[in-house]
Amino acid sequence: MKWAAVLGITVMVAFIILYEWPKINPKQKKEKAAVIGLTVMGWLLGVLLVFFPELPGPTKLFDTIVEPLGKWLEK
Amino acid sequence: MIEKGRISALQMSLLIYANIVSSAILTVPGITYKYAGRDMWLSPIWGSLSGFFVVFIVYQLNKLYPMETLIQYIQHILGQIPGKIVGFFYLFFYLYAGGTALRQYGDFLVGAFFNRTPILIVIASLALASTFAVRAGLEVLARLSDMFVPLMILLWIMIVLLLIPELDVKNMFPIMENGIKPSIMGAVSPAAWYTIFFHISTLFPFLIDRKQGMKWSMFTVLAVLVTLLITNLATLLLFGGITGSFVFPFMSAARYISYADFFENLESVIMAIWIGGTFIKMGLYNYVLVLNTAQWLNLSDYKPLVLPFWMLLTLVGIWTAPNLPELAHSLSVTGPIISHTYFIVIPVILLLIAVLRNRMRQKAGKP
Repeated sequence: MKWAAVLGITVMVAFIILYEWPKINPKQKKEKAAVIGLTVMGWLLGVLLVFFPELPGPTKLFDTIVEPLGKWLEK
Repeated sequence: MIEKGRISALQMSLLIYANIVSSAILTVPGITYKYAGRDMWLSPIWGSLSGFFVVFIVYQLNKLYPMETLIQYIQHILGQIPGKIVGFFYLFFYLYAGGTALRQYGDFLVGAFFNRTPILIVIASLALASTFAVRAGLEVLARLSDMFVPLMILLWIMIVLLLIPELDVKNMFPIMENGIKPSIMGAVSPAAWYTIFFHISTLFPFLIDRKQGMKWSMFTVLAVLVTLLITNLATLLLFGGITGSFVFPFMSAARYISYADFFENLESVIMAIWIGGTFIKMGLYNYVLVLNTAQWLNLSDYKPLVLPFWMLLTLVGIWTAPNLPELAHSLSVTGPIISHTYFIVIPVILLLIAVLRNRMRQKAGKP
């Protein structure tokens, strides 16, 4: 089941890249790199979430940073 | 310039108004009641100070760098490398805020209506819809809000008017029984909503009538203030002491309306306002994120980034919090602090540095 999800994400990523590729001017190297970079990030995050659904999220990160101030607000 | 579309100051106002009001009328009454009790209607007034201040700061920054968005002028103010680093933190925050807004929408919709639909589908479909809007450009986004916002306002007025016969003014007395402090504590959460006005920093460079921008933005803060004030007041006067027992008091208030066995179940009207508003909100968040990322990377076009960000936003929406209570807690406590840091503290520092640099340059110019 998990591998099926990974396959699904991969198909999605392939679709995004195949859809965008012809629309980008061949000379725009940076744009191509950005699209690839962002989709790869998406793929990695997606796969990580498939295997570790409990991965601590950005909310946790922000909560930890502002904890002292937050306690004062919460009382 | 990367965005060729131009919008008017009024369109910008409508975009921001829809962004804030559509979700705020749902969440603000409950949270302000928790802190302020009977004085909850005062809280949006204190909170609006954040809104006026954000508009003022962003306008001053825009006056120094008229044709640029924050991601661009941050590099002029701080220098290239530090500017890129701070810019990255902004982009990360935009991504987080967009994902979290999606998640809120998904959690609520799944909880209230689509009990058997996986949240991934709900989130991904709204994100995809807003993706198409963003791909079409800023002008299309603005016209969407031109279309939705008057309707939203009309529906909201209808709900408030229908509630009037049920209201009991006694519920708001005594005013400020425990002094002014509870109402100020209650203002923390609405203040976070008002800081969303910061997004005008991305829209300002694309205005046709930039001179009107400041005036319209201030006017919009006032409009948001009036909307939230009336919403809070209507909820309080209807429910009195039991306001706190509802998660979304204004929606429960709409459910309360019943006339001639015909006007019933009006909470679906609130849902309509909310889904329309969330669509515009995701459109703007998505646009701000995609455009600023393209500017951060010095790309010549932002459109190729829209679909990759669709995937990232959806995933962050799933990832952001394990469950609804944790998310709600974080939004009411951490949310206001983080958004004030990003949207007020850092911009104020940037403005100070920019003004000082200009002074120094002028002094160096004429010794």
